[in-house]
Amino acid sequence: MNDITAVAPRQNRFSWRALSPWLISAAVLLILPFVLDSGTAFTLMNVIAVNIVFALSYNMLLGQGGMLSFGHAVFFGLGSYAAMHAMNAIDEASYAGEGFWAHIPVVSMPLVGMIAGGLVALVIGWPFCRRAGTAFAMITLGLGEMVAAAGQMFPSVFGGEAGIYGNRMVGPQWFGLELAQAADVYWFMAFWTFLAVFAMWAFTRTPLGRMSNAVRDNADRLQFIGYPPRNIRFMIFIASGSFGGLAGGMAAVNYEIITPESLGLIPSGLALLMAAVGGLGVFYGPIVGAIVVSLMNSMLSDYTEASILYVGLVFLAIVMFAPRGLGGGIEHVRVAAREGTLGKRLPGWLTGAVAVVLISLGLVLLIELLFQWRHGDDEFAQFFGLNFVAESVMSWVWALILFGAGVAVMRVTKKFREDNA
Amino acid sequence: MLKPIFTFLAASLLLVGTASAETVKLALIDPLTGPMAAAGQPAFEHLKYEAKRINANGGLNGQDLEIVGLDNKVNPQESLVQLQKAIDDGVRYVTQGNGSSVASALISAIEKHNQRNPGEEVLYLNYAAVDPAFTNERCSYWHFRFDANADMKMNALTDHIAANDDIKKVYLINQDYSFGQAVSKAAREMLKEKRPDIEIVGNDFHPLAKVKDFTPYVSKIQSSGADAVITGNWGQDVTLLVKAAAEFGLEAPFFTYYGASSGVVTQLGDKGVDRIYQINEYYGEFEDPEMAKRQTELYEQAEWDFYYLRLSTMLDMLKKSADQAKSTDPVDVAKAMEGMKLETTTGEVVMRAEDHQIQLPMFISVMKDDMEYGAEGTDYNFKKVARIDREAVSLPTTCRMRRPK
Repeated sequence: MNDITAVAPRQNRFSWRALSPWLISAAVLLILPFVLDSGTAFTLMNVIAVNIVFALSYNMLLGQGGMLSFGHAVFFGLGSYAAMHAMNAIDEASYAGEGFWAHIPVVSMPLVGMIAGGLVALVIGWPFCRRAGTAFAMITLGLGEMVAAAGQMFPSVFGGEAGIYGNRMVGPQWFGLELAQAADVYWFMAFWTFLAVFAMWAFTRTPLGRMSNAVRDNADRLQFIGYPPRNIRFMIFIASGSFGGLAGGMAAVNYEIITPESLGLIPSGLALLMAAVGGLGVFYGPIVGAIVVSLMNSMLSDYTEASILYVGLVFLAIVMFAPRGLGGGIEHVRVAAREGTLGKRLPGWLTGAVAVVLISLGLVLLIELLFQWRHGDDEFAQFFGLNFVAESVMSWVWALILFGAGVAVMRVTKKFREDNA
Repeated sequence: MLKPIFTFLAASLLLVGTASAETVKLALIDPLTGPMAAAGQPAFEHLKYEAKRINANGGLNGQDLEIVGLDNKVNPQESLVQLQKAIDDGVRYVTQGNGSSVASALISAIEKHNQRNPGEEVLYLNYAAVDPAFTNERCSYWHFRFDANADMKMNALTDHIAANDDIKKVYLINQDYSFGQAVSKAAREMLKEKRPDIEIVGNDFHPLAKVKDFTPYVSKIQSSGADAVITGNWGQDVTLLVKAAAEFGLEAPFFTYYGASSGVVTQLGDKGVDRIYQINEYYGEFEDPEMAKRQTELYEQAEWDFYYLRLSTMLDMLKKSADQAKSTDPVDVAKAMEGMKLETTTGEVVMRAEDHQIQLPMFISVMKDDMEYGAEGTDYNFKKVARIDREAVSLPTTCRMRRPK
């Protein structure tokens, strides 16, 4: 923003290079179902798809607009509720065989969620957007808690603790998509995820998308040149709420149930976690974050009782040592490759990676031994093919050796890395 | 970017592939890590302990029973992911107890799964989710409940209160969400019917798991002159409530649903003695030597008390059904389990065929000091006050069960 005359570079020319990420991801989405063959894999893919859209919509606020929100699950949850009520309306209307809803396919439920999420943001958003920063964070925190509490108190709309549930195999079918198994739902998810990601990327290229970066970086200057920051924040808020609602609509079809806890602080925190782990500054960062965090959430607890601790540690480590997130790391490598400096910088990065792996191995072993010592058996300590038991001193020594070796490598190679940076 | 995921997935698929066909797997989908783990871990340990006993007695129709623990973080959506993992792992029996939200998700998901995948049916054994709807308007053929539902518990509790002529004024305090509201509603209706002279002197709702100091509520109870308090509170909400009452010097007894759940005895100590009552299918005296043995062994092995008699009942009934049907296929087992009778240490229990709700005798017990078998390593435990017969606990159902052909 230092150069006032700077205008966003326009690429009017058709370029395969700009198109390639989209073609590759479309190809991956098409090939994946032929590689995967278990219901669990498809189920996980569907969860990841929902989380990708959710995390990206959150990053419109935080990464692009600079608004830290603790209430984003409100849009996700209300979008999901709207889609679920619509799905039940389809169910009833198709029994009766008449009425507006009898002609609406379940495949379009994400649109219902999107409209609901956008409307909610439109109605409640204006007073929130006067300030960014702490005030905005506090207000959204209050909003999230308020809606979550209301969700528990009005069972007629939110279904009480048991939530409301529906059936996705109703109404007209499109493209012969029956939506019976997770594998069928995958195509639905792939379609909407691709569309939503593309739309959110396109949003960043619009003038409003550019202004959202400006309002993040310097709201005062924006005011001087004639754009009221509040209006811009409000518009980002609505867009972000719409896409949050779209993710909610996808979730309604995937899970066929929605409960009031989906409105609360925990899922809002999940959005922040995914976006931050993936990297706020890179467009595809939240995608990476959504994949990593979803897998950690669903798979890690099979191997260790300390799974939640690891999710927390990963978050902490990234915020402290790699604030640009996993996506930022990938971007580093990509930029280096494009500028032809990869060969020079790679050895330095590899030494860093070795150090990080050693430190993490030591830490993991230490945590597992602590858990084993405190809670009895925990199988993760046998994970490295070796048998570590808390009773033997050698196990603890090994943990410290690994950790120490990691720190040593980090120290020794520091200068080497700096010279080759 | 996608490569590590593929290897991760491949690794998890390999793990799934190693499943042995010899054992019958029962998956526990409950919180096993994190802040709510104290609710899921005791059930996990109980099940593992009881499975050993079942296997020593010949298993299910000759096949060994294996318990698989899957962590759901009490989240309905996450539970569905875990359910799919279990199904891919060859699991045909699922059990869960913590949270009616999760139970609701599992019931509707399993109903749909069984409809969409004939030949791969899954059976859901519910050990603690007590929303009455699950065996009334939302009843499902694939769901069997081994705990008394919330209304049955209130039925037993109000029987006991109605029989006590000293109680003239009752105060209701509950958590402000669907379960707390249902408890309050059932208490008002049933007391009105059984003892119209009892006055409800207060009906409070407080935010769920948010109140740290219950003194204002307790002083309201005190000034209302209540002779007894009924509460469906669980977790910290019951501990802190009774603690505040003890510190305030409130004499009225607390009739609770979850007074003996894990952690309460340790945190209350002397303050709970003669003050906290609970309604449950069992109590803490263990006069039956077999049950005393289970309490001692379980505490030695896993440091959890033998609290869930119903988990023993559940596995015994599962074994009896499998043996009777000479099969471990859920379809045959479900058919055999309908209407099944079983003799337990507290008397005969019946799995009612109409709604798959277990019918069982219940007990009112009160916390006492110097018990032979103390809970959580203390000297406190719950002593039997009254037994309410199976017929008295029972309630009619509105269930219209849809059975598969």
